[in-house]
Amino acid sequence: MVEPLQLQTAAWALTTALELSLFVQFLRRKLGRIYPFFFAYLLSIILQSAGSAALYGHPDLDQLTFWKIAWGMQSVVVTMRALTLVELNRRVLSPYVGIWALARRLLLGVAAAVIAYDLLLSKGQWQWLAMNGVRGLELAMAAVIVTMLLFARYYRIPVSPLQRALAVGLCLYSTFYVINYSLLEKVLRQYAVLWNFLGLFAFIASLLVWIGAVRRYSAVEEATVPQTIPAEVYGMISSEVNARLILLNRQLIQFLHLENRSQ
Amino acid sequence: MSLPVILLVLFAMLLVVLLAWALRPPEREPRPSLDVFEALRQSRHSSRMSHILQSLQPQDTEYLRSAGQPALIQTVRRQRRIIALNYLQQLQEEFELLLEISRVLAVMSPDVIAMEEMERWKLSLAFAANCAFLKWKLRLGLQPFSGFTLLSNMATSFARRLEAATTRIAEATVRSAEPPGSF
Repeated sequence: MVEPLQLQTAAWALTTALELSLFVQFLRRKLGRIYPFFFAYLLSIILQSAGSAALYGHPDLDQLTFWKIAWGMQSVVVTMRALTLVELNRRVLSPYVGIWALARRLLLGVAAAVIAYDLLLSKGQWQWLAMNGVRGLELAMAAVIVTMLLFARYYRIPVSPLQRALAVGLCLYSTFYVINYSLLEKVLRQYAVLWNFLGLFAFIASLLVWIGAVRRYSAVEEATVPQTIPAEVYGMISSEVNARLILLNRQLIQFLHLENRSQ
Repeated sequence: MSLPVILLVLFAMLLVVLLAWALRPPEREPRPSLDVFEALRQSRHSSRMSHILQSLQPQDTEYLRSAGQPALIQTVRRQRRIIALNYLQQLQEEFELLLEISRVLAVMSPDVIAMEEMERWKLSLAFAANCAFLKWKLRLGLQPFSGFTLLSNMATSFARRLEAATTRIAEATVRSAEPPGSF
C-alpha cells in the first residue's frame, strides 16, 4: 500500500512539473505581456515550491522559524494571486468604463466585507490573525471572482476562454483552501496529511485548467473593443426604461393582488 | 466548530455553486444592438392588455353555468387560462427586452448610475418571482377570472402610462441616434 506521505511527495513533484509546464507555455505564447501579474504569480509559486523543498531539507530549523519562513512565502504567493485577480478584473471589465466604475466599488465592498468578517474570528490573537487573514483574503478573492463573473453574465460582457479559465482556477483553489483550512482548523486535525494532499489536488486541478486554456489561447479572443454612447443618452434612456419596468412590475403586482382577492 | 466558521464554509460552498451558475452558457443569445433600438420603437404586447382582458370577462362562464353547461365551462376556462398564460409570457418578454436594452446601454455608457442599475436588478428579481408565482397559480387551475374584470378596468390607465413612457424613450432614442447611428 502507498503511504500518504509518498502520495503527497508524488503530488508535490507533479505540481512542480505542471507549474513549470504552464510557465513555459505562458512564455511561448507571450502572455506575460498581457497578464504580467499572473506571470509573476506563476514565478512566485515555482519559487515557493523550490523554497519549500529547501526548507524541508533543513529539519534542524526550529518550528517558529520554519513557520515564519513558510508563511512568509505563502503571503507573497497570496499577494501575487490577489494582484492577478485585480489584473483579471481589470482586463474583463475595464473596457466598459461605466460598468467598471460601478463594479470596482462593488468588488471592493465585497472583498472588504468578507475579510473583515473573517478577521473578526481571530479574536485579536496575532497568529490566528495572520492565518485567518490569509483565509479571509482567499475567500474574498473567490467572492470577487464570482461577483465579477455574475456581473459579466448580467451585462453580457464577453469573457474570453483564457480569462474564464484563470477565474475558475483561482476561485476553485481559493474556495477549497477556505473549506480545507476551516475544517482542518477545528475538526480534522488528525487527517492533516490527507487534507494537505487534497489541497494539492485542488491546486493541480487549477493548474490543469490553466494549462488547457493557455494551450487553446488565440490572440483574437482578447481583441474586443466596445462601442460607446454619451453618458447623457444613457442617463436619459435609462431612467425612462426604469419607469417602464416599474410600471410593468406594478401591473403584475396588481394582477397578483386582484387574483388573491378573487380567491 | 462554531457557527461563524460554519457560515464561512457554507459561503465558500455557495460561491462554488454560483461559479458554476455564472459559467453556464446564456439561455438566449444576445440580440444585436440594432435590434434592441429597433425594439424600442415597436408596439408592445402590454398595450394590448385591455383587449385581451376584455375577452376574459366572467359573464360568459356565469351565463354557461346558469344554462347548465358544465363541460363547456371547463373548455372555456381552459382556453382562458391559456390566454392568461400567453399574456403573462408576453409581459415577461417585454420586461426582459427592456432589461436587455438597459444592459446594452449601461455597457456602452462611460458613466453608469448605480442606483438605477440596483433598482433594475431589484425589479427584475421581483418581477421574475411574481410572474413565476402567477403562472403556477394559473397552471394549477386556481380561479383567476374574477380578477381579470377589475384588471381590465385598470388596464387602460396602465397602457396609457406605458405608452407615454415608451414615447419618451423613443424620442430619446431618436435624438441619440444622430450622429452615432451605428449602435
